[in-house]
Amino acid sequence: MENQAESPVKDKHLLIAVDESDSSRRAVLYVADFLGGFPGFRVSLLSIIPEPEQDFYETEAELKAWVEEKIGKANKMLEHYRTILIQSGFPEEKVRFRACVGEPKSLSDAILEIRCDLTCCTVVVGRQHKTRTEEFLFGSTSNRLVHEAKNCAIWVVE
Amino acid sequence: MGESGGYSEKDLIRMIRKWVPRERVPKRVKVKDTSDFFRVDYDDVVVLDSVPYFVRNNEREGRFGIDDEQKFWVKRARNLLTGDVKILKWVFRERFEARIGDLVFDCVRSPQKEARILELVSGKPAFMQGKTVLDTAGNQLRILDYIRGKTLGQAALELGSGHEDYFHNHFPELLREFIVLVEAIRFLHDHHEKHGDIRRDHIIKDDTTGHYRWIDFDFNYRHGESRFGYDLFGLGNVLLFLTGRGDVTTYRLLREDPEAFDRLSEDDVNIVFQNRVNNLKKIYPYIPEKLNRVLMHFAISAPLYYEETRELLDDLGEAREELKAGSWEVKKLGR
Repeated sequence: MENQAESPVKDKHLLIAVDESDSSRRAVLYVADFLGGFPGFRVSLLSIIPEPEQDFYETEAELKAWVEEKIGKANKMLEHYRTILIQSGFPEEKVRFRACVGEPKSLSDAILEIRCDLTCCTVVVGRQHKTRTEEFLFGSTSNRLVHEAKNCAIWVVE
Repeated sequence: MGESGGYSEKDLIRMIRKWVPRERVPKRVKVKDTSDFFRVDYDDVVVLDSVPYFVRNNEREGRFGIDDEQKFWVKRARNLLTGDVKILKWVFRERFEARIGDLVFDCVRSPQKEARILELVSGKPAFMQGKTVLDTAGNQLRILDYIRGKTLGQAALELGSGHEDYFHNHFPELLREFIVLVEAIRFLHDHHEKHGDIRRDHIIKDDTTGHYRWIDFDFNYRHGESRFGYDLFGLGNVLLFLTGRGDVTTYRLLREDPEAFDRLSEDDVNIVFQNRVNNLKKIYPYIPEKLNRVLMHFAISAPLYYEETRELLDDLGEAREELKAGSWEVKKLGR
């Protein structure tokens, strides 16, 4: 029998999109609980700061300061979530994170674009409990992800 | 040249005499610095971009039950070179929280937004026109063309002798005009801009052209996943008002038409203003189905919402076709 070089099994890559909400925390804890310690998985944590509208800021400097503050807070939060996942059993090198500022497109579109870039097979988000009025006026990221996603799975964690 | 822009008091009074009735010509005029709108009063003159403007009253606006609040930063004025009436809008920044039902969200009154949109919509007949200059403090002061005319709400209420007459004989044309207005909003959305404060009293029928124009683009709101949802909600409210020839409220029905009130269920009301009836076909059965379905997208029972103006326009186009076909049938029957 010929020796065949073992082909490495590709990890399943999950993208967890988070913000400062409790629902995002639940999503991270769920992944930690469900998959922590099992081989074959890696995680990218993503926080998208909604595109800052220049009309809310009097000067460029004010806008820049707001963005820097938000990115700083996001990185701190992502670092904390990364620790949770590592403590649950994910190898350090298999958990990455990224904070970025959104562009003029919906959050769901931005998440799906990054999912595509990173070739993640699954997107995980927490379900935010919005009132009907809020969902009607301002939309729901998790709903839109479920409707618009292609070629991947969407986990919406309650 | 200073504040007076090279115009003497005598020059200015001579120009004022050309445009205002004799009894309104002041004996003295002061040319005021434009950096502080509180110091600019009735009968003062301000010079902007070398053009003198004779200041009249502060504009007013009613909002959420508060009638006619003075807007000190918005003044009516007359261009003393041409006689045109203008609205001068100084910089007044305001950040506040808007409340809709239980929902609270950040809003801002932004002169830079209005200046940006004025440039974007320059020459477009469905929008008020104007330009932006700098006041003496370097702030963006907008000079807007005054639109003489009634608001869409006022104009609609004057049409027809009752709802049925209004709906068959006046509403089709109003719907056509409304669709033009929605297309104008789509133009803004296609350029990533929101109107920010869509209301029926922000639509004026220009007496000069006979067409409706959007006004007041200085509001912005922090959007969520849906960038234009709040604008779309505003459009839905205007359409509901036009279709019902006024807001049809549960209270009004209970008083005026209890039988119609009994036909309603809790699914038939507006998703935000739950005293307003969206299912108008239950009140006025001659309202065609497709139009009613558009209204029901803004009802509490709606399973799906419009996310883009294009979607609303597609449905309105179909509703308008059905309405046209229906009116032909009505004419055939000789009603």
